[in-house]
Amino acid sequence: MNSPQAIFVAATLLGAVAMWLLLPRGQARGRPLGILLGTIGVGLLASQVPRIGRWGEDSVFLILAAVTVIAAAATVTLRNPLYSAIWFGLSLLGTAGLFLLQGAAFLAVATVIVYAGAILVTFLFLLMLANSQGGAYYDRVAWEASLSAFAGTVIVGILSMTTIDVLADPSDRLVAAAATEAELATGVLSDYPIALLGGELFGRHLIAVEVAGTLLLAALVGAAAIVAQSRSNRPAGVSDPGDSPPSAMTENQAKAEQR
Amino acid sequence: MMAYELHLLTNYLIVGALLFGIGLIGFLSRRNMIVMFLSAEMMLQGVSISLVAWGRYFNDLDGQILVIFIITVAACEAALALALILMLFQRRGNLDIALWHDLRESNQPPYVDRELPETPPYASGPWPSLTPAGRRPDLPREETDYRSHV
Repeated sequence: MNSPQAIFVAATLLGAVAMWLLLPRGQARGRPLGILLGTIGVGLLASQVPRIGRWGEDSVFLILAAVTVIAAAATVTLRNPLYSAIWFGLSLLGTAGLFLLQGAAFLAVATVIVYAGAILVTFLFLLMLANSQGGAYYDRVAWEASLSAFAGTVIVGILSMTTIDVLADPSDRLVAAAATEAELATGVLSDYPIALLGGELFGRHLIAVEVAGTLLLAALVGAAAIVAQSRSNRPAGVSDPGDSPPSAMTENQAKAEQR
Repeated sequence: MMAYELHLLTNYLIVGALLFGIGLIGFLSRRNMIVMFLSAEMMLQGVSISLVAWGRYFNDLDGQILVIFIITVAACEAALALALILMLFQRRGNLDIALWHDLRESNQPPYVDRELPETPPYASGPWPSLTPAGRRPDLPREETDYRSHV
């Protein structure tokens, strides 16, 4: 019963029950129990992961990973979508810290800049569209909470079990491909990582950059077209309020709805 | 030395898997369209962490470059998703994805909401509102029914 597989199965089941308890089910009962079970499940999983081996890096990594994962779980499970957006921002900051630890300085900064704007826009959308009095039905009840919690945790369990299993006994090819410290010092962990990254990006991957630019343009035009189309579907009186009395506009809109 | 790099890789891959799984659960189970969108972004973050970890293990910058392209595609996705959410909201006046269940397959039963006790308001009170400024716009009556009070 002490075999690693049994521990992974236990962690998966605990995580599934915890996510089911935490997801909105129309009532708020069982959330402390869910937090407790989730902590135990993640702790069991973490007990199977080999420690990095240098205590300074270990502690920084563990703190950042805990912030990221806890904020992610809060994003998914909280009922108030505004809190979800804030917790998602915290999760992104944790991710940026993990990027920085891995020598991806440019990605850390880019994540913060790009997603800070995204969070702000999401926040505005929520203030504009969501039910500000709270307790909207669709925020209090989740679809099939048990099934989706089970599916998600089983995927995490299988992924982590195979990852730990394979990397505990790596093939010779994988070991030979690993970078040495001297190589890293002139590559990913060099003093000028962003210059190297830029050289690589605009050298070997120049065509991909052009394609990405085209994709951005296409998405911009597409988003504008979607919004413009939904505007033109509405009756003409709505875009120019004040021309006709409200009752006439309502009739127009009713006709548009029937069409 | 060897074990150090391998252990580092394992740790980061596990965090990536956790983020991906949590995002998947959120995308499958939440009904608020904006929270679903956030969950999809979270799954992308999990994949990005794994890519950066592999890039460090092989000392290959291609992992980071792939993440740059992921961020690009995520920005496109965000623009389209928010435009779609805005359009769907204008049609039904609600962020609930269940209102669109008539797009389901023909042999699937319809989704029926179950009865819930009366809505408890947020403990912190309603969200902050903006000070009115300028002339009050004339809105069609249907729109005033579902507009939130911002």
